[in-house]
Amino acid sequence: MAYRKTVASFVAAAALLGTSTASYAATDIAWWHAMGGRLGEVVVDIANGYNADQDACKITPVFKGTYEETLTAGIAAFRAGEQPNILQVFDAGAATIIGAKGAVIPAQDILENAGVGFDIEDYIDGVRYFYADSDGKMIGMPFNSSTPILYYNVDALKKAGVEAPKTWEEFQEIAPKLKEAGYVPLAQSHLPWIFTENFKSRHNLQFATNNNGYDGSKDTTLVFGEPIKNHFSAVKGWLDDGLFGYYGTGWGDNQTPFNEGKVAMWLGSSGSFGGISKTVDFPFSATYLPYWDAVDGAGTGTFIGGAALFSMSGKSDEENKCVASFFEYLTSPEVQYMWHKETGYVPITNAAYDMAKKDGYYESTPAAEVGIKQLTLPGGEWTKGYRMGFYVQIRDVMNREYGKLMSGETTVEDAFATIEADGNKLLERFSKTTGN
Amino acid sequence: MYKLKISDHLILLTGVFFMVAPVVLTFMTSTHDAIAIYKGGVQFLPGDKFLENYETVLFQAGGFTQEVNGFVMLKNSMILGFGFAIGKIVISMLAAYAIVYFRFPFASVCFWIIFATLLLPLEVRILPSYEIVQSLGMVNTYSGLIVPLIASATGTFFFRQFFMSVPDELLEAARIDGAGPWKFFKDILVPLSKTMIAAIFIIMFVFGWNQYLWPTLITTDESLFTLVRGIKQILQVWVGAQIPAFNEAMALAILAMLPPVLIVVIFQSWFVKGLVESDK
Amino acid sequence: MVPYMLLLPQLAIVTIFFLWPAAEAIQSSFYLEDPFGFGSTFVGLDNFTDMLTSTDYGRVARFTAVFTFFVTFLSLGFALLLAVKADKVLRGASTYKTLLMWVYAVAPPVAGLIGVLLFDQHVGPMVDLFAMFGWKMQIGVNYFDTSFAMIVTAVWKQIPVNFIFFLSGLQGISKSVQEAASIDCRSGFRRFWTVTFPLLAPTGFFLLIINITYAFFDTFGIVDVIVKNEPGNNPVTLVYKVYLDGFRGNDLGGSSAQSVILMALVFILTIIQFRLIERRVHYT
Repeated sequence: MAYRKTVASFVAAAALLGTSTASYAATDIAWWHAMGGRLGEVVVDIANGYNADQDACKITPVFKGTYEETLTAGIAAFRAGEQPNILQVFDAGAATIIGAKGAVIPAQDILENAGVGFDIEDYIDGVRYFYADSDGKMIGMPFNSSTPILYYNVDALKKAGVEAPKTWEEFQEIAPKLKEAGYVPLAQSHLPWIFTENFKSRHNLQFATNNNGYDGSKDTTLVFGEPIKNHFSAVKGWLDDGLFGYYGTGWGDNQTPFNEGKVAMWLGSSGSFGGISKTVDFPFSATYLPYWDAVDGAGTGTFIGGAALFSMSGKSDEENKCVASFFEYLTSPEVQYMWHKETGYVPITNAAYDMAKKDGYYESTPAAEVGIKQLTLPGGEWTKGYRMGFYVQIRDVMNREYGKLMSGETTVEDAFATIEADGNKLLERFSKTTGN
Repeated sequence: MYKLKISDHLILLTGVFFMVAPVVLTFMTSTHDAIAIYKGGVQFLPGDKFLENYETVLFQAGGFTQEVNGFVMLKNSMILGFGFAIGKIVISMLAAYAIVYFRFPFASVCFWIIFATLLLPLEVRILPSYEIVQSLGMVNTYSGLIVPLIASATGTFFFRQFFMSVPDELLEAARIDGAGPWKFFKDILVPLSKTMIAAIFIIMFVFGWNQYLWPTLITTDESLFTLVRGIKQILQVWVGAQIPAFNEAMALAILAMLPPVLIVVIFQSWFVKGLVESDK
Repeated sequence: MVPYMLLLPQLAIVTIFFLWPAAEAIQSSFYLEDPFGFGSTFVGLDNFTDMLTSTDYGRVARFTAVFTFFVTFLSLGFALLLAVKADKVLRGASTYKTLLMWVYAVAPPVAGLIGVLLFDQHVGPMVDLFAMFGWKMQIGVNYFDTSFAMIVTAVWKQIPVNFIFFLSGLQGISKSVQEAASIDCRSGFRRFWTVTFPLLAPTGFFLLIINITYAFFDTFGIVDVIVKNEPGNNPVTLVYKVYLDGFRGNDLGGSSAQSVILMALVFILTIIQFRLIERRVHYT
């Protein structure tokens, strides 16, 4: 027995020794992200850059699959007490993580607690409040932020003798000419994101009650008025007239025909810029997402899509300090500019944007600036974003109904009635999960 | 007697064509470069990129961590296939031995508990299973990948059936010789079961190798990906914006099917025996 | 003690990884839970009524039924035809047999990937083939077309198992019975329906259950790969919906309620299966 005790105390001593030496070594923090392919490589570059920049902390990025898989993995890990320090959560999952009070430490708090200055005005307009709570406090640190823009095949437009449209009215005029020239005039890659969420923002229209959902999940319902229904009627008409191509819900399935030169104009993410420039063998450019001139007050800015970094709770102060210092590094103009150039995502701070401008980046590649310029267009009451729970399923409902609409299985009225009914039911269910 | 007609052969040949052609096309496509497929569609003839594509898929560190390649996935698939088959055979032989050769209280309760697994395929309990494995800290481990899969009752039933067909005289003879339960199991039952073990091994290896849903949930760490799990990753690349690498995807598909197909073809008679007997 | 020791490993795994999760699924089907575990509300049967009254669940259930029906009967039918012919040939019999059954070893998602390749909107040869007959096939856009591709892929993957069982069933029918039959009735077709088919019936019934189970559960990989992560307006099966709501949507209560329904279904299927096995013993 005595022997055993000695061993035990020895082990305990060793453990103590271990912790005390650990305080001299770097504090490890983990970052779970959903950035695949080329984007994942840039994430690794950022992490390496941070680790080389200072000695106190060491960050390890871990790829966890799609956005949905990353969120699910993060949630399961949180329940098991093994959450990472930083979790990347996409726009549609924002309500889930922000709604779970106590799961995250607001980005603003983590920065302020660590004594790192924070001013929300440093962030560009379209980004600023998207991951904030109803009081305007930033909860998630915007990370990969993009916005839908219109890409066009310069040759195709030249051949048809037309200019890229600013409004949907203009599009209706030029589309038949593009069709005559042998092109499918238009395609898009994400109906809920581009033609629903950002349609609302671009036209400054309410998307949901309770201040687009920011004021709480209880009794939040979707709002669909005439403008969006008219828009989808028009889109369906274009599809039937061969002025619009719909290739399913998959992002790539819709982008491929544009890359192949069959589709003249494509609505995609400002973050698609890098990929297109590597793939296509024709000159292309980009412009703002068109809007309906007929809608009063239209032409406001869009908001972001993409994802934000959330600092998970339940971690030591030491680790939280490291998270703060990483956020500080991440939002520095140099890193943001690098991220912007490498990936096509927009820089999230005004300082980084200024740096890119000063560097002359947009003079050589003007298309890269379209996204950020669109985000900084004048905003309105409904342009800061939305906050709805079970939004992944709500998007799936939209995709389902829009898909039915495109293949002629339903009408615009019925499609929106179903989206409202199913969507509101999901919102009601979500508000119950948090005990309301 | 029945006269064999040309039409019989035609039907069989059509069947063979239907079964084989898709895989042949897959293979042909895997020997071209991505741009050619992207522009020209699925390829019907062999291309000149066979070595290049397979080398890329097998040895070039890919993925997002730059840690995983086809070879690592092949290794993981092997671990899953062997681990699952061996684990399942050992566990179910032990259990079946207890059920068939021992009289003990709660025997039928135990039997029904094992039987209940047939009522609960993984697919109907994925979410809580995932949570439990997560709370046991077994996510992203080989044991978390294998152990939850091996408990289903199919193997136990199979061996139970077989043991019941073993003549009682053997047990009597062993008793007279003074052999204990362990000796009887080791020296008589296991040797008798050799063919059965081989047959069920093949079935279980293929079954384990081909698992998709469970590995998809439980391994998010790329260094633990199996080949079949890797298919999910391929899709994500397609969802992104670059040219879909159909060639490499198809090369990976060929690699993922090659080992189980070879085993089934080479050990065909055991395989058929195992399948027909075990599912009874 | 010995028997308990022998049973321990299996019982432990069964309890931890089967019974416990199943109990948890049943429990959480009565709650609406915040995914992070901060709060949950007892909602009684709300999850079940919400699910059963939603338009989508009915649609998914209908598709699952149609899918199961076609996959089961087409793969059984083709397999039976091939087995009957393969049973008769002498020359090249084992080559035919090998070539017709090896697809058994192809994993469902791999089969799905091959399906995606052959039916792809942009590169698929089947799309070109059907276009010649005026069918503009669009997987991922058109509900019917996507269903068609899923069914074809699932049937392709399932023919070998049925083929093996039918062939071994046929070979189990003694030659003397067949010879007697060939004297009694001259027409091969009639002989098949009056003599061979009834003798194969137990195998057929048994395979029916196996195939239904396959179409329900094992086609997960095929569905997942063909819809490419985006359910959209695509046909999906009930099992896939459990996954979607649970893992993609983090709706624990809703997903669990669907699991419970599926458990009930499996329960019924298993009872039928065991009834049949008893009968099968009678036949053999």
